[in-house]
Amino acid sequence: MAASPLKRWARSEAVNGYMMISPTLIYAILLLAAPLVTLVAYSFFTDGYLVVIPDLTTANYAEAWSDPIFRSILLRSVIVSGLVTLVTVVLAFPIAYFISFHVPAAKKSRWLFLITIPFWTSYLIRVFQWKVILNYNGVINSILTGLGLTDHPLQMLNSIGAISITLAHAYAPFAILPIFVSLEKIDRSLLEAGLDLGENRLLTFWRVTLPLAMPGVIGAVMIVFIPTIGDYVTPELIGGGKLPMVANVIYQQLLKIDNKPLGSAMAISAMLVVAAVALVFLFLNRRFLRGSK
Amino acid sequence: MSQLNAAARAPLDSRAKMIEFHEVHKYYGDYHALRGISATIREGEFFSLLGPSGCGKTTLLRTIAGFEDISSGAVLIDGKDMSDVAPNKRPTNMVFQSYAIFPHLTVGENVGFGLRRDPRSKAEKAKAVEEALEMVGLKGYGARAAHALSGGQRQRVALARALILKPKVLLLDEPLSALDKKIREQMQVELIKLQREVGITFVLVTHDQEEALVMSDRIAVMFEGEIAQLADPETLYRRPNSRRVADFIGVMNFLPAQILGEAAGHVQLEVGGLGRFEVTEEQASARASGAEPVVGFRPETLTILYEGQQAHDREAPATIDEVVYYGDMTYYDVKLDGVDAPVRISMRNVFGRPVLDVGTRTRVAWSAGALVLFR
Repeated sequence: MAASPLKRWARSEAVNGYMMISPTLIYAILLLAAPLVTLVAYSFFTDGYLVVIPDLTTANYAEAWSDPIFRSILLRSVIVSGLVTLVTVVLAFPIAYFISFHVPAAKKSRWLFLITIPFWTSYLIRVFQWKVILNYNGVINSILTGLGLTDHPLQMLNSIGAISITLAHAYAPFAILPIFVSLEKIDRSLLEAGLDLGENRLLTFWRVTLPLAMPGVIGAVMIVFIPTIGDYVTPELIGGGKLPMVANVIYQQLLKIDNKPLGSAMAISAMLVVAAVALVFLFLNRRFLRGSK
Repeated sequence: MSQLNAAARAPLDSRAKMIEFHEVHKYYGDYHALRGISATIREGEFFSLLGPSGCGKTTLLRTIAGFEDISSGAVLIDGKDMSDVAPNKRPTNMVFQSYAIFPHLTVGENVGFGLRRDPRSKAEKAKAVEEALEMVGLKGYGARAAHALSGGQRQRVALARALILKPKVLLLDEPLSALDKKIREQMQVELIKLQREVGITFVLVTHDQEEALVMSDRIAVMFEGEIAQLADPETLYRRPNSRRVADFIGVMNFLPAQILGEAAGHVQLEVGGLGRFEVTEEQASARASGAEPVVGFRPETLTILYEGQQAHDREAPATIDEVVYYGDMTYYDVKLDGVDAPVRISMRNVFGRPVLDVGTRTRVAWSAGALVLFR
């Protein structure tokens, strides 16, 4: 006897497939898509002091982008996270290279394990530790004055440099791991081939190792750049609130001033800027990302 | 004919020494990987290092390229000691087992990789790349992505990339082992032709005895870090100097032998199933693996006689024990009368000759001259 169309539909492969991924699907919809859609919707609504009026407008975007303070903060955010990304990736590469090429295979996982140690404490505490280190009467200044190298303690907190150091430290493992993975994937005979074809070690690195490690480097750049631009804690604690980044003004609009539409418009604007920067970066490096076996 | 070609055709002994190993030892910690290798490879020679895995053949090849330091001894290339010469300064190029094609470069960029320091103009280099690709049968492939190539094509790119630098020695580390049988056999012939054409010394590492026999001018058979025998393919096949070499190269039948006496350059033997006969001293120079002497013979040196056929030399009665049909050939396992262990005989299936059944009584023709005595 032929099954009813409904039963046949329920048994079809496509439905089965959806059923199987449904936990993932529900997760993705509830935790990723829904908040984003809400945010986009809010950014086009009108602020009604204590309530949000669902009248569509682009006024929020106009207000955000015409505000020179918002623009300069957004620019600062891009510069700071660009700087952080540069420092993190440049410092991470030699570490990843060392583990991949000079640590015996049996000890590599031990090394990677050690690298994750900073993650055992909370992000907030790690940021606080930098505050202790960089403070006016903190570790570095105590050492400097104790050794008589300076009379006046250095003002290190509340600077872009301090913010960058703190973020670079926090994101270092995120940069090391993808670079390590791409270095691990390099067939070692390629490096011998480089030498065999007459190049010295340095040029073999430049012409073979580095280009082949680029997918990992690009991944590291993305992983560091995208979250740091939206970091809230470090500018607040290390920057002393005097050097706000884009997350801080969004927080202010959404929770302090309670202008949800403007805050949402700022958040979406920041997102678009991040996406644009990331896409330009990927485009410039597209030749390294071409498919290969 | 070019001068190089003329040099390549000159007898081996009269040619210049290209690679010399002097008492080369290599230790990895306690492991003795190379145990006093001494050998000379001549200019323009196609030389093979043959042996089972772990015998040190690849290590020895890598000492030529400079990827392995030696613990003691010396490696000379073209008369110069290479101990302080880095791999990138040696007049050798290598075709790696994995081919080591740079996946981020095109075929042309791969082939031209080693030309960076070459003083020629860009256009001249591009022409050289195109010529190198043409030489290996990949004309017009220059712009293709290297990672999209098949195994056989990668191998050709690896060859072109090495040969474009005109090395004195080309090193090939099991270059054909990753290819399927048809392409492998085709590449064997192409490599021989290419080697004759360019006249460069080729040193090939392989574990495939057939490949070594087909391609080489001379073969060094290696076991456990030592050269067991160094000879041309025919000598290696017909006159292996030890039972181990005989076992490794092709199929050889062994029968226990009794030495009755030696006189005037001849050794008198008695062998079960074959009777009494004598062999020359030359045939009797190989080492046995145990204390008991054995005679060895290849499957094709025996012939099964059909009714009415006469043996040219000697014959022995036998019974067919097993038949394996290969199309062009049939392998018979035959029990000689008075011997328990069967011997293998290969027969070409010429037209009109029937394949015999198991259990058939027959006669086997043989010659004492085709035997090797291991003692």
